[in-house]
Amino acid sequence: MPEFRPISGGGVRLLLDADEARVLRGLAEELRSVLQGAGPADDPVVERLFPAAYEDPFEEEAYRDMVAGDLEQEKIAGLDAVAAALGDDRDADVALGSDDVTSWLATLTDLRLALGTRLGVDEERMGAEVDPSSADAAAMTVLHWLGWVQEGIIHALQGT
Amino acid sequence: MASGQQTIAPERVITPDSDEETKRDRPWLVIVHNDPINLMSYVTWVFQKLFNYPREKARKLMLQVHNEGRAVVSSGPREKAEADCYRLHAHGLWATLTKSD
Repeated sequence: MPEFRPISGGGVRLLLDADEARVLRGLAEELRSVLQGAGPADDPVVERLFPAAYEDPFEEEAYRDMVAGDLEQEKIAGLDAVAAALGDDRDADVALGSDDVTSWLATLTDLRLALGTRLGVDEERMGAEVDPSSADAAAMTVLHWLGWVQEGIIHALQGT
Repeated sequence: MASGQQTIAPERVITPDSDEETKRDRPWLVIVHNDPINLMSYVTWVFQKLFNYPREKARKLMLQVHNEGRAVVSSGPREKAEADCYRLHAHGLWATLTKSD
């Protein structure tokens, strides 16, 4: 089970067991390859992680030309930082400073958005218990687990 | 410099507000849309972190997104609105930009 301990200066110490660390690292590496163009051009995961800012296609194109490269770099750097902090086959004990914590929370969000988009979840399904007999049960459990890690970090940050 | 020469000072041409001009001066709104995946606690935290909103204001905006499907979370000149939108996208929120009415 993950543990979250506040550390001084607005950070959090995160403890994961070896299995949890392996799952998280695997997800980060998988999403990295998706962002680097391994998937189809109209991949709904990519569309969700890089939503259009403007309705007008010309304004959107200009905006995208300006920022898309930076946004992709920022997301990949976040995935790399998570993967680098988690070794193979060992428990993880990661001290996240306040900047690290921001990047980790954003990266956990990207992983949840990617997984949730692949699963096609809606609010009803997100709020329901996971049906252990469904084909998506394992992936849904991971999606909820990621959310649980995220909330654990937020609560540790806010001292609640 | 010669004195007494009459100069023609450029006069400011005042024209009535055209629709175009009014439109140009209106601020851009940054809108966050509801999505089924992001957690309420996380969305609240993002509003606190990115905009320095007090927790209550951040929570109120999060609830507006959740209950009404969208909320205006910041506004301003185009550059500021675009920068806010970028940071929201970097944090995984579904944000769009629109000109205020």
